[in-house]
Amino acid sequence: MTASICSYPGDRDEALIAALYDDGDPVKLSAFEAHMAGCQLCRDEIDTLRGVRAQLSRWAPPEPTFGIIGRQPQVDSPESTVVNHQSTMSHGSAWRQVPVWAQVAAALLFLGVSAGIANIDVRYDASGLSVRTGWLTPASDRRVAAAGQVAPNVTVVPAAAPAPVDPAPWRADLVALEQQMKSEMHASLAAAPRAVSASDADLIRRVRALVDESEKRQQTELALRVAEVLRDVSSQRQADLVKIDRSLGAVQNNLGVEVMKQRQSLNLLYRASQKQ
Amino acid sequence: MTWTDEELVAKSIGGDAESFNQLVLRWERPIYALAYRTIGREEDARDVCQETFLRAFRALPGFRGQAKFSSWLYRIALNLCRDWMRRERRTPVVQPPEDVDLMELAAAAEPSESIEELVARKDLSRLVERAMTLLPEEQRTAIVLKEYHGLTFQEIADLANCPLSTVKTRLYQGLTVLRRELAKNAKATL
Repeated sequence: MTASICSYPGDRDEALIAALYDDGDPVKLSAFEAHMAGCQLCRDEIDTLRGVRAQLSRWAPPEPTFGIIGRQPQVDSPESTVVNHQSTMSHGSAWRQVPVWAQVAAALLFLGVSAGIANIDVRYDASGLSVRTGWLTPASDRRVAAAGQVAPNVTVVPAAAPAPVDPAPWRADLVALEQQMKSEMHASLAAAPRAVSASDADLIRRVRALVDESEKRQQTELALRVAEVLRDVSSQRQADLVKIDRSLGAVQNNLGVEVMKQRQSLNLLYRASQKQ
Repeated sequence: MTWTDEELVAKSIGGDAESFNQLVLRWERPIYALAYRTIGREEDARDVCQETFLRAFRALPGFRGQAKFSSWLYRIALNLCRDWMRRERRTPVVQPPEDVDLMELAAAAEPSESIEELVARKDLSRLVERAMTLLPEEQRTAIVLKEYHGLTFQEIADLANCPLSTVKTRLYQGLTVLRRELAKNAKATL
């Protein structure tokens, strides 16, 4: 038989907590343990609290992303250490330490890689500006390519020639833009200190690090998406199962009612025929 | 050779910058964890951690060793957390950081851990976080210090400026609320 009331003479809550964490006066602890040996209520409660502690142990704070953790402590003064921590902790502060030209180079590289991956196609022709992304070329391009493979010397002449339109109205703009970019790049290179050229290796290293980071981010992003999809599928499946269960129940109920009505009708008919 | 905190503090006061660096490296993770579990925001927890060491460095010449260095740091960090909460004028909302959290979990996960296990672990962590937000600040602080930092009842009482029995009562009440909330959430997720 289990006692439903605890008869511990002291402050039971305090004693429970002290026993739970094994922290307190040893005499009191052993006294409470002796009490617990005969008190099912206290044993149950301490077991439950241990379960809560086990669950609490699963709560881990996220690691700092822009860490104050794991650096080499090669700093001149503690004040600068702390200040450096502050600078490393805020978002984008690392970017502020990178020269502008290196940032531009990294950004261009990133855009180039992204455009290459996305197979981006920007066109500006008589029909206006068009931007296309994706892995497949349009059907018209494929047809032209296929035709080129079969008979490369054949020139396809449209049945009705379109009105004469400048095939590349963007060429002049593009040339002007190229010139402008070249002149700007020369100007910035001339303005940059000579040490810049000496630090090409450093630039490459930084860019590689950026690319690596980007790849890692994409991979983890993918993992996140997969996890989300799995969770969504699981919850949707459960919701569907509940819905199906309810629908089946409703169908069964309707069926039962119908059967009952049929039976009543038959009984009525039977009785009527008996009377006749 | 591994120096004790007290030795490093003495050397820091004597002007040895490297010693203070060692102290930062030794204690930044626990202080960050304390701040995160108390205020529940990754960014702000980092700021609190940062500010704790900044204040500690400035106040170091006045540190006479009347308490353990770690207790002294905890006190600074808890005061900063309290200031933060007062400034925000609200109960801390534990917000699991978007993306970063799962990414780190994924990175830290054992190779044998499946995505389902990862999600389950993540969900449980979120449940605990959510349940912790329901606790009053005093109870939450007591649980965090005891559960995650292994402080004794007496150390917590000293930090919280309250009697020993109050600490135990806060722990008991806090754990009771958590038990109820976690059970409720577990039922809801079934």
